[in-house]
Amino acid sequence: MATSTLEAPRSTPRAAPPKRPRGSGAVGRFIERNGAYLFLFPAIVYLAIFTVFPLIRGLLLSFTATKLVNPAGGKPVGVENYEYLLSSDKFWTSVVTTLLYTLFTVIFSVGIGTAGALLLNTAFKGRGIIRAIATIPWAVPTVAAALIFVWIYNNEQGILNRTTSALGMGQHGWLVDPQYGLFAVTLATVWKLTPLVMLVMLSALQSVPQELREATWVDGATRFQSFLAVTLPHLMPTLRVITLLMTIWSIRRFEIIFLITGGGPLDVTNTLVVNVYRTAFQDQNLGRAAAIGALGLVLSLLVTVVYFIVEQIQERQESQR
Amino acid sequence: MTTMRIPTDLPRRRGVGAKFGSLGKAVLITLLVVFAGFPVYWMLGTSLGTEASLYRDGQPLIPEFQNIGQWGGFLSEIPIFRWLGNSFVIAAGTTILSLVLATMAAYALSRYRFHGRGVAGFIFFSTQMLPEALIIVPLYAIFAGAGLLNSHWGLVLADTAFVMPVAMFIIKSGIDKIPFEIEEAARIDGCSRVRILTTIVLPLIMPSIAAAAVIAFFDGWNEFMFANTFISSSDLWPASVGLSSFLGQFYTPMNVVMFCALLFALPAIIFFLWAQRGIVSGLTAGSVKG
Repeated sequence: MATSTLEAPRSTPRAAPPKRPRGSGAVGRFIERNGAYLFLFPAIVYLAIFTVFPLIRGLLLSFTATKLVNPAGGKPVGVENYEYLLSSDKFWTSVVTTLLYTLFTVIFSVGIGTAGALLLNTAFKGRGIIRAIATIPWAVPTVAAALIFVWIYNNEQGILNRTTSALGMGQHGWLVDPQYGLFAVTLATVWKLTPLVMLVMLSALQSVPQELREATWVDGATRFQSFLAVTLPHLMPTLRVITLLMTIWSIRRFEIIFLITGGGPLDVTNTLVVNVYRTAFQDQNLGRAAAIGALGLVLSLLVTVVYFIVEQIQERQESQR
Repeated sequence: MTTMRIPTDLPRRRGVGAKFGSLGKAVLITLLVVFAGFPVYWMLGTSLGTEASLYRDGQPLIPEFQNIGQWGGFLSEIPIFRWLGNSFVIAAGTTILSLVLATMAAYALSRYRFHGRGVAGFIFFSTQMLPEALIIVPLYAIFAGAGLLNSHWGLVLADTAFVMPVAMFIIKSGIDKIPFEIEEAARIDGCSRVRILTTIVLPLIMPSIAAAAVIAFFDGWNEFMFANTFISSSDLWPASVGLSSFLGQFYTPMNVVMFCALLFALPAIIFFLWAQRGIVSGLTAGSVKG
């Protein structure tokens, strides 16, 4: 662990007391003494202006009846927006949709991404090119991805319907039938995000100690056993972090859903974030939109807290072993 | 330094690897490649299609490369280069601003022990939890007051707020890996912190800076929600908003739209393939330790 203390030259390492930082003149000394804060200051001020301040303003807005025509502020209405939302079916549907979308997206992208990484980490011909192709979707801009999928899902000329009808499964209104809305946005999201998981897991696989795996083979373990004993434990920390990030990112994901279905058909893809946007800029009700956003933040926080509790329990179990 | 090991394409233990269910593996790899590659291939095919082949007969499975000449004509139908130029300005601005802020903050969080360090780290991390949608409403009100609506500057400022913390974690993990002894030696020689950061640390963390730069650039290049809300003049639209304006409109043929989408995606894809190694090591370091 690096520290900011300075060792006196030629003394016993790590034993010497911190020495006065060097600097030339008063300004230099000031910079040296308050270095940490000076380096941190611009970024923190920036976040204060563009994240914390809007966040607080957003929370305050959620207790008012502000409309888009007068974004500066409407009359305070207390918890009316929250009361309205918590007793509205549309809001709770939105919560359930968000959770379902998140669950499916995380399961499939983390699952396929990890499996793909394990596959692409083995030796075979043309691995470099295959890896490049498999990870390209991550580089495709979201709007371009949305356009591609809207065309793939097209009712008459879409390749998906051409395939399903060729296979005798009939044609489906992927974007207009409420039955398929969530499937349509989830598939597009998984396509776009699986490569990111794959990249992260591939990199984690690079640092699995090969000597340890080979040692288990010498001891007569099968490949699968050595995977369970060496590789998987080594991947777990990365797997946990990427799962948490994918979860949080899914809860706040907007673009791909908004562009492909716009929250429809019949609100089946109206996740909290899409709901915020539509309430603010289509229904023009900024106060209520801010309240939905605040409740969405609560959901993110809950998920994160659950994650950290689970992680604590797992770490305790691992250390007891 | 073992975590810095970069993926190589050298099959290290071909003998053991090749033994393992080669047919099953080939099938799985093919599935993966088709899953990932098909939509991009399809986009290319659409851009080469004619209106008849797209809307009457159905898009052919093999792209009609003989139609490549039609691409030139498409450019006059959509102001795509203007939009791409706008995207570039926004992405470049976001990259520069977030790298400067992130590098300084990362150095502070990596190399100093000070009061409020944990709080500062938490603020950076918690921005990951914040839905942009919660910020966008008040930000709209703030920008309306400050005259930042309909301006690329406003977008750069908003985008940076969200990508800068990510860049910070990536760069911080790069600095964490540099042995502190190198800096100590410089300090004993009388180097100031600023000089240490610019002349010693920066050259050593170039891979992390590059990874952070790619992430920031991607973010600015792709961003849609803020741009769609803050920019109303179509001359100022970035490509993301310009292209999205064709969704749900039936009078712009898909081949034209897909050609523009291809132009929008191609720089990002090429950039990504070129910088892939750096991205991977930077990204994992950032995400795992973040």
